[in-house]
Amino acid sequence: MMVADTLLQIREVTKRFGGLAALKDVSFDVTVGEIKAMIGPNGAGKTTMFDVLTGILHPTAGDVMLKGESIVGLRPDQITAMGMIRTFQTIQLFEGMTALENVMVGCHCRTACGFASSGLRQPAARREEKDIREKSMDVLKDVGLATRAGEIGTNLPYGQQRMLELARALASEPDIILLDEPAAGLNQYETGELAGLLVRFRERGLTILIVEHDMGLVMQISDEIVVLDYGEIIARGAPQDVQNDPRVIEAYLGIEA
Amino acid sequence: MDKQLARLPDAESRNYRTLAISTAFILLIPVWARFIPGDVLHIDIVNVMVLAGIYACVVVGLNLLVGYAGQISLGHAAFFGIGAYTTAILCTRIHGFPTWLGVLAGTALSGAIGWLVGKPVLRLKGHYLAMATLGLGEIAFILFQQLKWLTGGTVGILNIPPLSMFGLKFDTDLKLYFVVWIIVMALMLLSINLIRSRVGRGLRALHSSEVAADAMGVNTSTYKVQVFVLSAAFAGLGGALFAHFQKYVNPESFVLAISIMFITMVVVGGMGNIWGGLIGVLLLTFLPPVIQALPQWLPGLPSGLQNFSNYELVLYGLLLILFMMFLPKGVADGLGRAADFTEVRARRLGDRRKAKRLEGR
Repeated sequence: MMVADTLLQIREVTKRFGGLAALKDVSFDVTVGEIKAMIGPNGAGKTTMFDVLTGILHPTAGDVMLKGESIVGLRPDQITAMGMIRTFQTIQLFEGMTALENVMVGCHCRTACGFASSGLRQPAARREEKDIREKSMDVLKDVGLATRAGEIGTNLPYGQQRMLELARALASEPDIILLDEPAAGLNQYETGELAGLLVRFRERGLTILIVEHDMGLVMQISDEIVVLDYGEIIARGAPQDVQNDPRVIEAYLGIEA
Repeated sequence: MDKQLARLPDAESRNYRTLAISTAFILLIPVWARFIPGDVLHIDIVNVMVLAGIYACVVVGLNLLVGYAGQISLGHAAFFGIGAYTTAILCTRIHGFPTWLGVLAGTALSGAIGWLVGKPVLRLKGHYLAMATLGLGEIAFILFQQLKWLTGGTVGILNIPPLSMFGLKFDTDLKLYFVVWIIVMALMLLSINLIRSRVGRGLRALHSSEVAADAMGVNTSTYKVQVFVLSAAFAGLGGALFAHFQKYVNPESFVLAISIMFITMVVVGGMGNIWGGLIGVLLLTFLPPVIQALPQWLPGLPSGLQNFSNYELVLYGLLLILFMMFLPKGVADGLGRAADFTEVRARRLGDRRKAKRLEGR
């Protein structure tokens, strides 16, 4: 059943909150190296889907497979360790930590030193700490925040906080990254930079699943779009097809048309 | 190393320097305390400092739990008591039981019980966790009081032998002083190492946002239990030292007020500031003896003031409220800001002088 280059398989996922079905039998795949967008009006179930994918919520029914293995029931940190990480719709940087330290937390699942070796500052812990610092600095450079490394993350301008969240997620060396409205609150210039960055990361082999309301960005970078409305997929396909789909226009783009 | 990385301020080395300086300072206190005879201050400085060191063991661990990981405990007197009773029972019931082994046993048992209760209790958050730990403290207190065959009931356990190690007997306050404070500094070193590590970042991350920490790959539930066990073990160690210092234990030393006192020390000193905890301990441990000595310094004060236990809880509550309102980050943060301020002023002054000199040339 598993196609060779399918990274993430979502199989008939349903999530109910009491009587309300936030997701109804949603199925789609994400293939290696693609940028897939998930769009839909507010309340369509996009963030719920992200919560299910990353183990914050468990699906009522259905299955989620990452690299061919079911991840339903795993803890969020285990899923992160398996190579899928997310960012948040509302920025969730760690308070009181510098930009660099925020990114260093992202390295958590690729490092191992625990209470004993860290508390006693054993050579292995020191070596690892040095590696973490250097790697995190490289990631900061990658997103253009190297000069802000020593500043408290939450004190940065909004656009840079978004970039920092992205950097923190990238530090976990993910195969696939789930971006929850990464362009929200960014100005046009910053959105352009973000688009460039995402395309660059994709070229390096990163797979991206993005939820975004900025249609310009979605149309520009995504290979395929999945449209959700009331927890169901109402359309899917290449950006230009989706754009012209009457159901989509009615449910979502109709507001603008 | 990376240039940009090298330029970042190195909080680590500053912390180790402060630790070295404060260790030297604290180990010298008994020397200069000799020049202030006790009958002038009416305070036995060395004696109070031993108690402060014992409390510091608890507070350093509690600060990791409350200040760094953001998990409240209103029941740490329980672990303090478990440590104390463990060594007290072992050393009085078993003839010739090595006291240092009793202290180790107290530390270990306290940590083990911390693990047992921490696992279920730490699933709770915020107020619920506060209530649960409050209950734990009360249960422990009742057990200390009611398990008479083991704990001696309200009378407690008397005639606990002094601590001895490597053939040395620490039977005076002065001798115990050095043991206790060397242990405190070792715990401080451990904590500083921990905070500036991968684990410390995980703890701070889970304090800030558990959901985000989870999503970034931090196993928050395990970390919470681990830091709880560590703080319980530190508290047990403090309690065991306390038993050998006081030479007796009874349930009165492990009441709710003591748990609240530990939390107050953390808050007054500064949550999430390892040095703050130490300052909080010193301030609050010296408070009762200072208040008791007040009538001797200033004659004419009401004698009721001397009875500290009468209004102890009221005072701690008041301190908690005032600090939360005016200095939520504690004394250490206040001092730090004052130091930064004077440093900036001094630098400006220095710049001006330098500028003048250049002009004069």
